[in-house]
Amino acid sequence: MPDSHEPSSDDIALIGWSISPMVRNTDKTEAQLLLEVITGAVENAGITRREVDFTCAGSCDYVAGQAFSFVQNIDAIGAWPPKRDSHVEMDGAWAMYEAWIRLQLGDIDVAVAMGSGRSSTADPALIYPMEMDPYYLAPLGTDAASFAALQAQALLDAGKVTERQMAEVAARCRRDAQGNPHAQVTGDFAVDDLLAEDYVRSPLRRHDLPPITDGAVAVVIARADKARELCANPVWIAGFAHYSELHYPGMRSLTSSPSTTLAGKAAGLEEAPVEVAELQSAFTHEEPLLVEALGLGADVAVNPSGGPLAANPIMATGLVRIAEAASAIRDRGKHRALAHSTSGPCLQQNLVCVLEGQTFKGAAK
Amino acid sequence: MSGHQSVVLRGEIRVAEAVQSTIQFPYKRSLGPVVGAFMTALTDRRIIGIRSGDRVIVPPLEWDPDTAEELAHDFVDVGPAGTVESWTWVASPTVQHPLDRPFAFALVRMDGADTALLHAVDAGSIDAMSTGMRVAPKWRAQRTGHITDLEAFVPGEEPVVPADDAGPVAEPVTMMDYNASITYTLPVTPNAARAEKANEEGRFLGLKCPVCGRTYTGGKGYCPVDAIELRSEHEVDLPQHGTITNYTIITPVQYPGQTETEPFARVHVWLDGTDVVLGYQPLLETPNADVHIGIRVSAVWASDAELADLASNAEGRLLGWMPTGEPDLTDPDLVDRIQ
Repeated sequence: MPDSHEPSSDDIALIGWSISPMVRNTDKTEAQLLLEVITGAVENAGITRREVDFTCAGSCDYVAGQAFSFVQNIDAIGAWPPKRDSHVEMDGAWAMYEAWIRLQLGDIDVAVAMGSGRSSTADPALIYPMEMDPYYLAPLGTDAASFAALQAQALLDAGKVTERQMAEVAARCRRDAQGNPHAQVTGDFAVDDLLAEDYVRSPLRRHDLPPITDGAVAVVIARADKARELCANPVWIAGFAHYSELHYPGMRSLTSSPSTTLAGKAAGLEEAPVEVAELQSAFTHEEPLLVEALGLGADVAVNPSGGPLAANPIMATGLVRIAEAASAIRDRGKHRALAHSTSGPCLQQNLVCVLEGQTFKGAAK
Repeated sequence: MSGHQSVVLRGEIRVAEAVQSTIQFPYKRSLGPVVGAFMTALTDRRIIGIRSGDRVIVPPLEWDPDTAEELAHDFVDVGPAGTVESWTWVASPTVQHPLDRPFAFALVRMDGADTALLHAVDAGSIDAMSTGMRVAPKWRAQRTGHITDLEAFVPGEEPVVPADDAGPVAEPVTMMDYNASITYTLPVTPNAARAEKANEEGRFLGLKCPVCGRTYTGGKGYCPVDAIELRSEHEVDLPQHGTITNYTIITPVQYPGQTETEPFARVHVWLDGTDVVLGYQPLLETPNADVHIGIRVSAVWASDAELADLASNAEGRLLGWMPTGEPDLTDPDLVDRIQ
């Protein structure tokens, strides 16, 4: 473990964030959702939009139902005088990764990263296939739940999880979500009652799937000197990495997640224990798989927010994990937490962000 | 969404505070030497893989997934039957799924292959499905070189061939079609609804930012410069006269949804006494050769009778802009006025 030291000026911290209400069908446009969370995040950081040097958004045109929808979303930034801006057709967690890389150039200090999605625009099961391999997969209409179910069945066959354990994950997440104002699906559910329901995609029942959610999130990150100037309790980014596997699910093992393991190692996860893990496990069976891939012990609180099973705003779900992990440190006294995001069928690509509070010991190299 | 044509079909259906539109995504894709060989083989009722070191990869990839080295085109017939490695029962298929009745998606490792092919299994019942079960292809009679030439797998060892089998295609398959259609429902915000109502009444509604003073049309919900919300108290009625600041003559190319056949003008109109420039407006009763910057114009709205004849006018009740006959504005900076 490296010696404790003050953050160097090249370290980067979260200094503010804001999560929108999470609902099945919002009457707001995506730009309006972003307008509110960006305002919320910069106010949370104690700054204005004028002090933001770089913005990066994660969203999806196919979800928005509009080509170049992210251009309209720029309206939410207040991009006049012109701002440095970028966009990823990925979850906002990857937008924050780009912003983190951008700030490391050292010429600017403050960036906003955001993620937004209005899944209520259309049937997600019809949108998802369009993002798959266009020759072998998309023409079959391969939806996210079908992919997830193939992975769940593989885990069941391998004896790595049971349907009861999956239902227990759902019940725990919905129960934990009761304290989360940004949750959409909450409540006390008996595991036996959940298991009595029909399959949506065997072996997945309704509770194994995430809700369909409209929502957005924005975070403000800053280089160390600026972060300490603006913020009494910055949440430091100790490590940040992502790895990808093959796209086609029939060409890789579905019972392990080596890209998650690699991302965790690269983000310095092993350097010290984490107390909280916010995972983008949108399907129940993904949680034990990710916990194993990250080597998390039983003492780690997994998705205390309720996770994606409580609210799943596509393109924002991963960045919400980062905001929730940061809240665990700044607002609930935790010291070290990890956030995970994923993209692609059957956990193809995985991102790990390790966050630390006042006991920050320097970023993973 | 570059690289495709998206078409908003005319005749949008308006529902309460939302607008529904169906977008078609008609892709044509070139297949290249490896995917093309796979698709061509499908028309011959064969499933092929490609050698990658000691492995046979099905469906074939162009590059070694471990090293990214380009693979030699060393194709191998696999099957005809295979083994289910994982599966899921789809009780309620979507319109994009290959079967319109309950079926399974499965990862099928073809005999002789080292990877699994994802496809449908037409098993009739979830009770017929299990990991490790044996399946064989059920072929379509008419095959074009598409992943759905393989209609589905069926339980058993023997491929199913229809009696009216049309045989393989004569030439190697080089292209494929992929057509998706998605119906989107987008919210109509209160500002947009009021702007639309104003249009129905023959008025232009503006929203004036209380901070910067800029005016926006179309029921914009916020000032993009100051990033603040605009509400009904910020509304202003805009003038119906203006000046052309820029124009273009569009020569229509035929794509799905294009109804114009002859070159036509679209003009930018700067509304008098405001900072509002309306973009891409129709210009009425003016030959294309006479269109120029500086023409004074006024808005022309459809009567109720004319409106009934307009199946769907993108501009609502606004028919376009008519030259007023006033002298041109000759300000050389006109062209710099953009929205």
